[in-house]
Amino acid sequence: MIEVNELTKVFRKPVRGEGLSGMVKTLFSRKYEETRAVDGINFTVPDGEIVGYIGANGAGKSTTIKMMCGILTPTSGSVTIDGLEPYRKRRQVAQNIGVVFGQKTQLWWDIPLIESFKVLKEIYQISDTDYAERMDFLGEVLDVTRFLSQPVRTLSLGERMRADLAASMIHNPRILFLDEPTIGLDVLVKEKIRRAIHALNRTYGTTVVLTTHDMTDIEDLCSRIILLEKGKILYDGALKSLKNRFGNLKTLTLTVPAEIRAETAPPLSPELTLSEEEGRLVLRFDADRLALEEVIQYAFRELRAMDMKLAEISVGDVVKTILSQQEAAHAEKI
Amino acid sequence: MLKKYKPFLRAGAMDTLSYRFNILIWAVITVFQVACLVFLWLAVYRSSAGGMDAEIHGFTFREMIAYVVLTTVFNYVTFNNDTLWNINNDIRKGTIGNYLIKPISYRGKFAATSFGSLLTMTLLFGIPFYAAALLTLGGLGFLPDLSFPAFFVHLGLFLVAGLFASLLNDVIAYIFGVFCFYTTASWGLNSLKETLISFLSGTLLPLAFFPAGLRKVVSWMPFAGMSQNPVLILMMKYDLAESLRCLALTGAWIVALELFAKLLFSHAIRKVTVQGG
Repeated sequence: MIEVNELTKVFRKPVRGEGLSGMVKTLFSRKYEETRAVDGINFTVPDGEIVGYIGANGAGKSTTIKMMCGILTPTSGSVTIDGLEPYRKRRQVAQNIGVVFGQKTQLWWDIPLIESFKVLKEIYQISDTDYAERMDFLGEVLDVTRFLSQPVRTLSLGERMRADLAASMIHNPRILFLDEPTIGLDVLVKEKIRRAIHALNRTYGTTVVLTTHDMTDIEDLCSRIILLEKGKILYDGALKSLKNRFGNLKTLTLTVPAEIRAETAPPLSPELTLSEEEGRLVLRFDADRLALEEVIQYAFRELRAMDMKLAEISVGDVVKTILSQQEAAHAEKI
Repeated sequence: MLKKYKPFLRAGAMDTLSYRFNILIWAVITVFQVACLVFLWLAVYRSSAGGMDAEIHGFTFREMIAYVVLTTVFNYVTFNNDTLWNINNDIRKGTIGNYLIKPISYRGKFAATSFGSLLTMTLLFGIPFYAAALLTLGGLGFLPDLSFPAFFVHLGLFLVAGLFASLLNDVIAYIFGVFCFYTTASWGLNSLKETLISFLSGTLLPLAFFPAGLRKVVSWMPFAGMSQNPVLILMMKYDLAESLRCLALTGAWIVALELFAKLLFSHAIRKVTVQGG
């Protein structure tokens, strides 16, 4: 179980003056700029849950992950992993967690992949039978067997990421932290990685905390999401209730004759918004307030729709809406 | 517990092996340096009051040459250490995170790597170089008469002293490396470390040549245990009691510095700001 309590991380960096005179001044008087990367957050992750930890770049996701796995020490507040604070009991906690930072590899660059695994076997003191079992499981779900004998530097990004993921799971960690595990990957590899995470969670009951910018990852994997913005939690709860937060939102995408434009189309109701996206007309509305039937009739009669696609709002849309509302509120304050 | 560090020991041993050509080139350079030193001491002794038979600060000319040759071989075999640079790299590139998320001690990783490197260096270069140096020096009559059963005791103590010197060198490099958490001046830190060690360990000049006050201070510092003392133990310039005293002092310093390194690291680690994200 992960417990995060009033967790705060403040980064303090010296402000360098510009130019030569600025540099000389910095030598004698240092001013510091403080950034509250993580600002008093609280949450608990029970065993066996898959949590999506999302937010814009610089929201403080990676900083939180780094505190949870013992790389960074919090400025105040605490994290406990099964009752232990990772930055105090680093080695003990490390035995029970696995970490992947999608941006960089933890594998040894110049040696064949299998050698990296063997090193990890020794570091984590994995028994021969456990090791064989894990290699079988990972070989199957992540399909790494084929390139085990290649040096890591010769692997493609997709192969490397799968290898990294396998490496983080080799000691059967109870908790897995994945910081953007699908970054820069093609759809098929993403798919494979998602399946592996699912399989791991189902087979071993592994708790997974995952950050990503890919909303498909979230919809496929996570039952719960935590949305972070400027170091604070904006939303923490089930994926479903986040979607319903804005009502029963639907989008209807239409193919219409060229003369029908969003600005000039006869309006139906203030509840309905029209916009043009990629040459198509997009209608957004709350199906609880405006009957679907009415909208569809309107689309055929007034907009002369030739084709249409109805969709529920995606998590990505919700997150976008929350973040832009947040920004607007922020702008008003100033 | 120690088995966890086996891969790092192996990596240290293998890395050193892969640099064997660099090491050989460096060996050639070293021969020239030794030649310079021999001529320098030749000039010193010739111009001294007692001439070539003089004994300066307890060293005859022949002993001085033996000392110069043996400290050179000793430093060459014992100090093969990238700890400071590796720490600096880990900090700058952010790869330190890769080790912090593993159930191993960062210090232990470096100690194991250095020990692996020491093993390769000793087996590959140490044995032939020491043998060649001792046989040549002995054949030329440059070594004091080595009475044989006693020499083996000293040889044994010398091996321990060599291990201690390597550990000491590694923990000092580690401490200077951890200072890279606080400053980006790694190049300066490394120069400072090298200068301190080569001056205070007796590599440049035996400590007997230092002014009395300074000598007293330096003799209590850890540095003599890194070069001068092991070589004087091997040359049997130190009797058994003196040799053991030196080893005890060095051992105590290793313990003290390891403790200091531990404290320093746990402070420094709070300052880590891993790049990116």
